[in-house]
Amino acid sequence: MPDQTRKLEVVRTGSPGEFLVREGDGVTQAYAIAQGATTWVFHDGTVYEIAAESPGKKRQGAHVRSELTAPMPATVVAVKVAPGDAVKKGDILIVLEAMKMELPVRAPGDARVAAVHCRPGDLVQPDRSLIDLE
Amino acid sequence: MDITRVLVANRGEIALRVIRACRELGIETVAIYSDADAAARHVREADLAVRVGPPPATESYLNIEAVLDAARRCGADAVHPGYGFLSERAAFARACVDAGVIFIGPPPEAIERMGSKIGARTLMEQAGVPIVPGRTPADQSDAGISAAAQAIGFPVLIKASAGGGGKGMRAATQAAELPEAIPAARREAQSAFGDGTLYVERLIERPRHIEVQVFADAHGNAVHLFERECSVQRRHQKIIEETPSLALTPAVRDRMGAAAVAAATSAGYRNAGTIEFLLEGSGDAARFYFLEMNTRLQVEHPVTELVTGTDLVRAQLMVASGLPLPWRQEDLRQRGHAIECRVYAEDPASGFLPQAGPLALYREPSGPGIRIDSGVEEGAAVPVQYDPMLAKLIAYGETRDAAIARAASALRRFPILGVRTNVAFLIRTLEHPAFRAGRLHTGFVDEHLAELLEVPAPSDIVIAVARAAGSRGAAAGTVAGAPIPPARDPWSALEGWGR
Repeated sequence: MPDQTRKLEVVRTGSPGEFLVREGDGVTQAYAIAQGATTWVFHDGTVYEIAAESPGKKRQGAHVRSELTAPMPATVVAVKVAPGDAVKKGDILIVLEAMKMELPVRAPGDARVAAVHCRPGDLVQPDRSLIDLE
Repeated sequence: MDITRVLVANRGEIALRVIRACRELGIETVAIYSDADAAARHVREADLAVRVGPPPATESYLNIEAVLDAARRCGADAVHPGYGFLSERAAFARACVDAGVIFIGPPPEAIERMGSKIGARTLMEQAGVPIVPGRTPADQSDAGISAAAQAIGFPVLIKASAGGGGKGMRAATQAAELPEAIPAARREAQSAFGDGTLYVERLIERPRHIEVQVFADAHGNAVHLFERECSVQRRHQKIIEETPSLALTPAVRDRMGAAAVAAATSAGYRNAGTIEFLLEGSGDAARFYFLEMNTRLQVEHPVTELVTGTDLVRAQLMVASGLPLPWRQEDLRQRGHAIECRVYAEDPASGFLPQAGPLALYREPSGPGIRIDSGVEEGAAVPVQYDPMLAKLIAYGETRDAAIARAASALRRFPILGVRTNVAFLIRTLEHPAFRAGRLHTGFVDEHLAELLEVPAPSDIVIAVARAAGSRGAAAGTVAGAPIPPARDPWSALEGWGR
């Protein structure tokens, strides 16, 4: 949680997306752009993707995704699991190919495969669900 | 100069690099573009621009006929291929020559000679250049590849015989890993190069990847411009390159330079090229092995330019037009230290998965000793069809420590939003104690991956800025002690924040 005692003043500069943050005499520079439900923030060499908060709900930390999606247009090269399979964190579930490279889709945590939504040879679009885990 | 109009058969940062060098020599330029790049920077900076096809590279930048048609139509008397795409296709170089257009690069025969891994090895062996044990088995079945691996001795590297750039490459430390490695390497080789023929070689453990820049002209002169250390790689592709290498003693550097010149000479080479070596061991006793020759300008050529005070693209244009090399070996010196960081649209946390999409915000840093070679810009999209490299940040300093500090400091001021990048990963690599100490080998990234992927939790500052930028649905309340008015839309919340 943010430290409630810190007094930060956030000032927009003349350059779109650029901010000056003051804390007493201390200054630092940051950049941010809101895109849909995510605000991208750059500060000191690191980019943060901050999810919008809904009122009364605390910001969540790392959460285990229940469905895995294609990060970009890709071709499914191999499906290594079937519904009902138990998988361990890091297991390769699906192999995609994009930009001439094989891209393994790995289990984000220990789980069971609930459903598989793709087959080898499928061209999948970004954010399309490939596999459901439970 | 005989060359008056150059067609630049590439896109992105390297197309811009070539266009600028041409302009400085009073040479006109012709850009080519696919539909994905119709208004790209390289198109805007050229004198003429010709569409060569739809977005897929095979139908545009790799379409030899379309590229040559563009050259003929515009009256280009020379073609610069850049790197990647058609740069190492002997058929393209030959088609240029046949069309009466100067190919700014080596003769087609030299590309052929060095493009075949087997042929190149034989040639190097004859020229007295040390090579790594390996072969392309005549029996390309899984059993045949396995037998070759057993004969060479583990660990082995299985890779595309036709390949380069680290694609279609798999390591196996024992026989049990072959059943998975062989089909994967073959699939990648097939899809990347249209040729699934595999090559098996001994894997040199914890080697450094060190390459030597060579340059030859049509008058029998050949020189080297020293080494580049390219040991920091992910997925067998370079991400940080520097020169000089801490690993080379003056004696080994001399031997390597001489071997590289001998290699280029034996290949009948002309123009800029790179001899890649694997280095094993340290001190004067370090051994190096010929890995392959890249018969083109390299992505990482700027570090050599900064440390030797040369302009390699300008020299390429001069040599291609028939002029002698602008330097003699004894004129060339290494001064200071340069380091290049490749900024990619990729997600290091997901196995360096390439990313694509619009660059919502993209601001390049600048300052003394900082050079940025890029071909992208804010608002433009990173297309899915091409290599996702956004920019090369090259830092020069009097010493290695100064160059590293400059590179890290500049990366901390290189905001890119809307697409995930490896900027934070690069900073953590530069600042890693083992990197600072120069303890590099090609497995560096894998060895230190967990530390290199660490991302700090969002600070109060980050949260406050996120609120100010106005996430949709941002809650009313207090951020970091500062009261924030209830947000009706992302922008109204910003009133009274100092603007």
